[in-house]
Amino acid sequence: MANESRLASWRRVVQENAPYLAIVIFLIVFPHLVGWITGDSPFGVGGRPRGQSVFWQSVLIEVFILTILTMSYNLIFGFTGVISFGHALFFGLGGYILGGALELVGLSPEVGLLAGVAVGVIVCGVLGFAMGLVTLRLRGVYFAIFTLAIAEMFFIYFGRLPLTNAEDGFSLNALPDLINPTRNRLTYYYLTLFFVVLTFVFIRRLMHSPTGKVMLAIRENEGRAQTIGFNTLRYKLLAISLSAMMASGAGMLHVILNKKVGPEILGVTYTVDPLLMTIIGGVGTFSGPIVGAAGLHLSERVLNRQFVIGPLTIDVGQNWSLILGLIFVLVVLVFPKGIIGTWTQWRTRRRSSIG
Amino acid sequence: MSDVILEARRLRKQFGGLAAVDDVSLSIKRGSVHSIIGPNGAGKTTLFNLLTGTYKPTAGQVFFKGEDITHVPLHRRAHLGLGRSFQITNIFPNLTVLENVRLAAQAMSEVNFHLLRRADHFKSFIERAQQVLEWVGLADMAGLPATVLPHGGKRKLELAILLAPDPEVLLLDEPTAGMASEQVPELMATIQEVRRQGNKTIVLVEHNMNVVMNISDIITVMNLGKLLAEGTPAEVSANRTVQAVYLGELYTHTEG
Repeated sequence: MANESRLASWRRVVQENAPYLAIVIFLIVFPHLVGWITGDSPFGVGGRPRGQSVFWQSVLIEVFILTILTMSYNLIFGFTGVISFGHALFFGLGGYILGGALELVGLSPEVGLLAGVAVGVIVCGVLGFAMGLVTLRLRGVYFAIFTLAIAEMFFIYFGRLPLTNAEDGFSLNALPDLINPTRNRLTYYYLTLFFVVLTFVFIRRLMHSPTGKVMLAIRENEGRAQTIGFNTLRYKLLAISLSAMMASGAGMLHVILNKKVGPEILGVTYTVDPLLMTIIGGVGTFSGPIVGAAGLHLSERVLNRQFVIGPLTIDVGQNWSLILGLIFVLVVLVFPKGIIGTWTQWRTRRRSSIG
Repeated sequence: MSDVILEARRLRKQFGGLAAVDDVSLSIKRGSVHSIIGPNGAGKTTLFNLLTGTYKPTAGQVFFKGEDITHVPLHRRAHLGLGRSFQITNIFPNLTVLENVRLAAQAMSEVNFHLLRRADHFKSFIERAQQVLEWVGLADMAGLPATVLPHGGKRKLELAILLAPDPEVLLLDEPTAGMASEQVPELMATIQEVRRQGNKTIVLVEHNMNVVMNISDIITVMNLGKLLAEGTPAEVSANRTVQAVYLGELYTHTEG
């Protein structure tokens, strides 16, 4: 009897998540699929990480990392209603701390990796908490400006710090083999995919918990949430700490992939990108960040070439910012709540009009 | 002294050069319905916000059960047993009606920092929310987003959010504001019912004179930030100054 109900509950979980499971399964076979179609092994060609399959793995790893970053941003922006303009700080600092632990401290690669990940995640969580404590009592825009200022401060500081080679940054060579993307691209692909799934599941679980419900209430109406007895500051601090920790993880995955740490990872790009990706995918939706990150990054990679239309030559790569701007305006006009947000709204409306 | 549950001592709130509430003292008896009336701009809502903690007073103190709560933050007051509703509907618009009330029930509990348990695992809050929605007559709409409710429905939801945590003192800021007049008796009947069942204290700011006169034990009349009169409905309506300042003015307005 108990077994039966457990089986039934598993079946329910699978049925409810069928689209997500299908996507994950597709992503698991994807490198092999590309390898099979193009004839380039997913493990590389000629013992080196080359060929179509490896190329597409890299593109998707980038998408995965941006997805994690965007999901972390959506946790505070979309689910708790806190606007931060300094998310790059956690992304970049995570990368710097991991890079430092691997290259600058003189630990063995394995110990350096574990120490870097642990210290980086904790430091970013505490930093997010501290920044929130100082400013979250203020409303909306003040917090946003403060976070921007702090992030820019770190950007400038690391751009001049001799220890980390100022604006040139430093490269990562002392990586454990297992997570070294040059040696084991496919392993790294599955590792980042795993973290995407983990972050997704965690955030969804969190948002269905009593704590997550309070975060939603704060987004909807913070004053009322206080009046009914919630110490809203605590929930906002929790949200921003968790978000900072996830963003630092994304930054670590990013520096390992590129095998380089430099001040650009603290740059405003890594604030603006997740912000745009959240809005385009759908603020406060679970799959919006995935759609936003994949949509924008894939279009950037796929469209990155010259198009010749009659006498007109358009170089998308060079004009990407302009095209991104156009995409953004179009999406906001056509899907005011983002792609997933608007779609969900449309679907519920259709359902309720039938029922 | 012990039958006074909520007390204001010489409260003053200054906005720039204007004293919206000026040296007001007020004692609210346990189990009473105490209404605060007065013409527009008399300082009723400001006084209300001082009692509930939305505003910090420029001077004076607020006592709840003999304890000074002047500097107790908003969210702590809810835990002490003070609940308030708002004149302008103040709900969680994109959450369902049920979730609006369920949150209010959850707020008083110890489960708020369960990160990985599902909220619907804690059934008691859902049951409490359903019970309260039944009470105010919104049970049929529990699954709808709060924002689609008609105005009257939002007023009922406002009341349900207030009732869910079962506060000892209910501070109602114009609960009938903007409601269709035929819905008013129903809402007031609910409030009466709540009071009878739980021996609640109700503080009411209200414009609707019929409502105030019918439901109140004590009425405090304010004008220009100061107390003008206090007494039973009969005493207040017999008071000449009150008639001149407020009732007369109001009745001539409504008749004319």
